[in-house]
Amino acid sequence: MIRFENASVVYRGGVHALRDLTLEIADGEMLVIVGLSGAGKSTLIRVINGLVPLASGDVIVDGKSIAKASSKELREIRSRIGMIFQTFNLVKRTSVLDNVMMGRLHTTPWYRSLTGRWRADDIEIAMRSLERVDIVEKAYVRAANLSGGQQQRVGIARALAQEPSILLADEPVASLDPPTSHVVMRDLQRINRELGITTIVNLHFLDLARVYAQRIVGLRGGELVFDGPGSDADEAVFRDIYGRSLTADDVLETSPASPSL
Amino acid sequence: MTKPAPAAPTTRRPSKPRPSLLLPLGLVAGVIFTLWAAWTIHFDVARIAANWDRGITIIGEVLDVDWSFFPRTVEPMIQTFQIAIIAAIVGCAVALPFAFIASRVTAFNRWSMTLDRWVLNVIRALPDLLYAMIFVAALSVGPTAGILALIFFNLGVMAKLLSETVDAVDTGPMEAAQAAGATHVQTVRSSVLPQVLPNYVSFALYIFELNIRASTVIGLTGAGGIGVLLGAQLARFNFPQIGMIIVEIFVVVLLIELASNALRRRLV
Amino acid sequence: MTERPQKPSALQRNLLFVAVGAVFLWAVIGVGIRWDRLLNLPERLLDIFGRMFLPPDWSFLPTAAEAMVESLAMAWVGTIIGAALSLPMGFLAARNVSGGALSTFARMILNAIRAVPELILAIVVFVPVAGLGPMAGALAIGVHSIGTLGKLTSEAIESIDPGPVEAARASGAGLVAQQRWSVLPQVLPEIAAFWLYRFEINLRAAAVLGIVGAGGIGALLANTLTYRRWDSAGMTVLVVIVGTIIVDQISGWVRRRIIEGSDGQPRAGDEAIADPSRTADVAS
Repeated sequence: MIRFENASVVYRGGVHALRDLTLEIADGEMLVIVGLSGAGKSTLIRVINGLVPLASGDVIVDGKSIAKASSKELREIRSRIGMIFQTFNLVKRTSVLDNVMMGRLHTTPWYRSLTGRWRADDIEIAMRSLERVDIVEKAYVRAANLSGGQQQRVGIARALAQEPSILLADEPVASLDPPTSHVVMRDLQRINRELGITTIVNLHFLDLARVYAQRIVGLRGGELVFDGPGSDADEAVFRDIYGRSLTADDVLETSPASPSL
Repeated sequence: MTKPAPAAPTTRRPSKPRPSLLLPLGLVAGVIFTLWAAWTIHFDVARIAANWDRGITIIGEVLDVDWSFFPRTVEPMIQTFQIAIIAAIVGCAVALPFAFIASRVTAFNRWSMTLDRWVLNVIRALPDLLYAMIFVAALSVGPTAGILALIFFNLGVMAKLLSETVDAVDTGPMEAAQAAGATHVQTVRSSVLPQVLPNYVSFALYIFELNIRASTVIGLTGAGGIGVLLGAQLARFNFPQIGMIIVEIFVVVLLIELASNALRRRLV
Repeated sequence: MTERPQKPSALQRNLLFVAVGAVFLWAVIGVGIRWDRLLNLPERLLDIFGRMFLPPDWSFLPTAAEAMVESLAMAWVGTIIGAALSLPMGFLAARNVSGGALSTFARMILNAIRAVPELILAIVVFVPVAGLGPMAGALAIGVHSIGTLGKLTSEAIESIDPGPVEAARASGAGLVAQQRWSVLPQVLPEIAAFWLYRFEINLRAAAVLGIVGAGGIGALLANTLTYRRWDSAGMTVLVVIVGTIIVDQISGWVRRRIIEGSDGQPRAGDEAIADPSRTADVAS
């Protein structure tokens, strides 16, 4: 379980990225966070695995305090939290398999990580993760030679290879086209249901949020302004979160005929 | 007759902007500095005029290459190669940690980064031959001194080049590694090293070229290689033999350059 | 379920490692390192380090500083000679200025000059001409620099924007006027930056040339080492290090000002200095 307790983050220059956030996320939930750019979505996600330091308050992850964790404890906590990124963050020059193996680094001794000679059972875990996202045939292909959607699936496999209890996704589909976006979101949904991994996704596109979220959390100016089931989030709610009328940019798929969300 | 209407006010012409004083000041300073420097080293154009024919004569004797001298140059040349190879491999290997610690992207912390950068500044301030002189005096005449000298020299060059490359890497994969719970060393090894590897090999080849050129001359201080033979010939003013050595050095450096260019193209 | 792919063969890569390792081994064995000496190497080095720097001979500072200044002067004069003569050579060697044959010939000369180390130039040619002393060193540095600077200048000229040149030609300007007004302003900041970087390198060359009798701090160091006056040698080395670093910092600052000041923004020349592989070109 993840619990935010009056969590605040202040960036240099005095910008309050998160204000006094209190939120509880149960095990196995699939949560989508929506909000404008700069509303605090990325910050919220990165506070969970300590990539962004807290100014005040705390975040308790599976009983461990993030604010008080030493760097060794933080690494240990992070090893149980998988993360996927908007820009995929793969090492382009190396193979898909070597990228996924980055998920096994936390249990790899230094002499193996230095030389790249992975343990057989670690390779097995990586292969199974690749099979789960249906991309195992590309295991030895250079990451740069894959399409955007394929790269993101490798990113998911890398996160799965950690055998995590929590999965964080920071705008995972913002760089992808609509059909691929749906594939990736469906993968995340499936992983959440089949493996029971707590999944937290930042989404920019509201129609995707409505379709794939059990629960939606809306942020505005670093503050929590909405928290409820996806079905409750209608147009008025979104306008409230965004603080303005909605535009075509807020939706993944708009057809000329239908009015903007 | 009506009076013509007064002319409409025109835009005022801008006055020419005052030229920046910096450039002419800098040039004047440069000229003064040059004059001072020329005086300090007793630069005497008259001497050149008087003696330039001697220089031409010598160049002529050097160009009259003694090709039969070639066999005697083979063994020292091989030693030159050996020195260059050993120093390049050891120097470039040792340079890796120095390079990563010196880069703000991969450094452990501010303090170690600054310390490392200053150490590298000091190491690079000494030219290869000065290192050779010191090691020859400290150890003794022979290739070991030359190897050590070039190792230090290589360390400085590679660490600087590599750390500048590391400064420019894509840091996204680093974030991914950290998010997965990797240690700092694991993060650098898995997400930064693959990005800079082609550059690293390219620099290593370049450093090997530099070593070949350097090891030809460090022999003059006794640090092994063909420079030792060159020194002996210079002492006896054997210009045709000196010519042979120079030609050989020229050819070897050219070949190495061609080979490493070809290798570099295969990398990219 | 899709079949898992086969791991690709690492044969090529492994062969490469074996080859490099074999070459290394051959070099180590062939060069004749005395293994017994190798073992007390660290001890010996630490001993010498102590004798040189803990403490250095401070009373030697004025002598060393004077010698360093002489090397500085040598390097500066050499750089000026190199810069002045490389400018016309650079134009001659640039393919877009002079015709094919002429520029090829010019490049050949430049390559030949570059290939001969300053040290050899100094000893063989310039000491007989100018006598022992820093003047010979300055000439050797100058002539060698023509080679490197000439090459870089010609490359800079070849990469200019041809527009202004065409405009000048269209308005009837002669060849020299074209170069002076449309080429030179474009490339001058970049070239000036090369000159300064070359000066930094030439300073190191000047320090070294003392070994062959060209005066300066190299001669001083050779002297102190020959007589095993370690503390004086240590002082000399310190002076070289500090002097070189100071010159590097000043030269670097001026270089950056030149590049940025030319039109207020970092230009292509910036890359040349900031780009490691180009830095390598200047250093050859």
